[in-house]
Amino acid sequence: MKILLTILLASSLSAVAGAKEIKLLNVSYDPTRELYQEYNAAFAKYWKAKTGDDVVISQSHGGSGKQAQSVINGLEADVVTLALAYDIDAISQQARLLPADWQKRLPDNSTPYTSTIVFLVRKGNPKHIRDWDDVVKPGVSVVVPNPKTSGGARWAYLAAYAYALETYGHDEAKAKAFITRLYRNVPILDSGARGSTITFAQRGIGDVLLAWENEAHLALKEFGADKFEIITPPLSILAEPPVAVVDKVAKRHGNTEVAKAYLEYLYSDDGQEIAAKNFYRPRNPAIAEKYAANFTQLKLVTVDQEFGGWAKAQATHFADGGVFDQIYQP
Amino acid sequence: MKLNQLILTAIVGAQFALPLFAADSEATNSTGAAQSESPALTAGGTAASAAETEEIEDLKREIQALDQKVQNLEKQHQSQQQAIIATNQEQIQELDQKVRVLSRQHELDQETAEAAAKLQPRFKLDSSGFLFTSADTNFSIGLHGLVQLDSRTYLGNNNVANSGFLLRRARPIIVGTVFHDFDYNLTPDFGGGTVQIVDAYINYHYDPQLQLEAGKFKPPVGLEALQSDANLYLNERSLVTDLVPNRDVGLELHGDLFGGAISYAAAIMDGAPDYSSTTVNTNLDSDLAYYGRIFVQPWITSDVDLLRGLGFGVGGSYEDASGVNGLTAGYTTDGQQRFFTYTPAAGTTIANGQHWRLSPQSYYYYGPLGLMGEYAISDQNVRNGAATANLQNTAWEVQGGWVLTGEDASYNGVTPRHPFKPLSGGWGAWQVVGRYEQLNVDSAAFPTFASSAASASAARAWSAGLNWYLNRNIRFDASYSHTTFSGYTGPSPAVPAKGEDVFFTRIQLAF
Repeated sequence: MKILLTILLASSLSAVAGAKEIKLLNVSYDPTRELYQEYNAAFAKYWKAKTGDDVVISQSHGGSGKQAQSVINGLEADVVTLALAYDIDAISQQARLLPADWQKRLPDNSTPYTSTIVFLVRKGNPKHIRDWDDVVKPGVSVVVPNPKTSGGARWAYLAAYAYALETYGHDEAKAKAFITRLYRNVPILDSGARGSTITFAQRGIGDVLLAWENEAHLALKEFGADKFEIITPPLSILAEPPVAVVDKVAKRHGNTEVAKAYLEYLYSDDGQEIAAKNFYRPRNPAIAEKYAANFTQLKLVTVDQEFGGWAKAQATHFADGGVFDQIYQP
Repeated sequence: MKLNQLILTAIVGAQFALPLFAADSEATNSTGAAQSESPALTAGGTAASAAETEEIEDLKREIQALDQKVQNLEKQHQSQQQAIIATNQEQIQELDQKVRVLSRQHELDQETAEAAAKLQPRFKLDSSGFLFTSADTNFSIGLHGLVQLDSRTYLGNNNVANSGFLLRRARPIIVGTVFHDFDYNLTPDFGGGTVQIVDAYINYHYDPQLQLEAGKFKPPVGLEALQSDANLYLNERSLVTDLVPNRDVGLELHGDLFGGAISYAAAIMDGAPDYSSTTVNTNLDSDLAYYGRIFVQPWITSDVDLLRGLGFGVGGSYEDASGVNGLTAGYTTDGQQRFFTYTPAAGTTIANGQHWRLSPQSYYYYGPLGLMGEYAISDQNVRNGAATANLQNTAWEVQGGWVLTGEDASYNGVTPRHPFKPLSGGWGAWQVVGRYEQLNVDSAAFPTFASSAASASAARAWSAGLNWYLNRNIRFDASYSHTTFSGYTGPSPAVPAKGEDVFFTRIQLAF
């Protein structure tokens, strides 16, 4: 009888162990849906060829700040691919799910691709918007998401602010007045970049959308180049969306190895090609050269140069009571 | 022609026509003079003609000036109209943008409200009880309950128990989930005159195919024993259930394979004697018990209606039991009167090592028909002083029911098609039930390990009843049970002497 029971137990366990399937959750920001749809398929194929295992990757998208908060609140992300480093820092600091030095674990500060903020205007550019000065003119309606919840919106805010600093000799008062004029022209704030694209492109609101470069290209592709055009301002910001393994969650799921490989594969030629095809600026110089025609050259300032890093920028501009709270009147 | 042009033409025409008319009149009036003063008039006529010509030229200039004025006025009017149109268009565009913004804002507000609603815990209260669930469904707590008010009327004068009412079960059942994968159940029982924890366990359901349960619960052996108390055909379980364990404490690996076609369970627990009305919370000796059960329903997911409700399997157990607590406290009748105990005439009988059980079992449900059959062997080594024996007690039962009102019968009870609402023509569901059962104690138990003066060596019983399901929660039962015994040599009117006749009723609330 003992032997019979042992056999029953062992056979049950072995039957279930053979049915293991790798499931990975990538919690990302709003406009990366198309990028990761393509990338996930490529990685699953790569992983299958390498290990023989099937990996099924689920995606979750939303405003970067909101997504980070969801992970802090318990969303079981194996990896996060968010819009800015501060949001991953928040996960590290508030939920202790990954170490504080997470950004050192992958090349280029764990940012396998970059982007910037450009203008999407209606065909013919009826308001003659060419630079940031045009955006703040009275009568120009500007669509941009809420910097409190959207990473892209924070990049857009800082791009405009950086322009003002450069233009007015780093006069903070003038820069603040400039950004005030900008947000006076904003009739509505979506929570994420994709929502703002819908507001501008589908709902017909506003004269200009301050958009991620890739999102602007996607809008042209999605809604028609006969309806919109992209205006690249002479100066914008170097947006660096980072990626990280959420160590404790990945470990709990037994996914540490595959999660690491998933992010490392972003730096491979395949990963960089997919990023470039989706209008993210690749880090790999050869791939960047190959897709140079996709990306207009412009002066790109960095958060570190202009704002002293993300922690300072966040505290000064986007924290409760910060500059944005002071200047924005809904 | 526009109105202003008509007016202008009229004015100009009048200005032009009136002097001519006046000149013509003067010319008419002066005809006679002209006729009489023609030479002088010729010179004067030339002068007049020059004056007229000049006047005409003046008038022409005046007309041109007026025409210019009219054109200017028209241009001014047009530009004013265009300005008004442009202003209106701007206002329309502004209003259009405002409407669009308001519409989008409303859309965003709705999205925000929906997102907020998704974060709110959900509350549900219906015939299945109360359930409070977190928005992400990772956490829940539910309250169920089971209350059974019975009456037992012992017929004749050969019974030792008293007739009357009793609160058979009174159980608040607290169930729920934590962190999505961990279920729990806490069930105390306030019925039967004592308060005890009936079930208290955690079940980790990694997958329906692989679940790990820990705590106190029913060991996986007997089919009828595993059926919920609320769904039994008759008030009390059969004699077969006397030979299987009731509750035990330990770990169980279990799951359903192929959509429930195969259910398996393997458990390691403290060990429990044959069915007893009370349950224990600690190990009665230092040895553990091993339980296992496999139950197959090959057609459960098929379209073959006739066979979908067929299930069969086998349950069993093995343990080393020792001491007086390793033996059953006794076997009881349907009327819950004890007809057998290991009480010898001299000495004390105790468990003496190996105890195994085996129980092949089956049920079949098809439409209103429900059938269940089970056989059980309880094989146990016993000792009384120096005397030892291996005793094999056996029991079997078959029971069946038919739902008169046509609802489907099932292992999990009957759901009335028309709940009891007499004014609306709803009378609930009615079911007739019957059972035959038998238990035989190993003849080697007598007289060394049990006394025929105190215990019967066999019991046979039949029962018949009528169950009325008013709705999913309320049920009335009435049944009759007749039991006969053999092997008893004790004095009358103790229980086994002449048999037992009991009339049961039950009012049950289950949710």
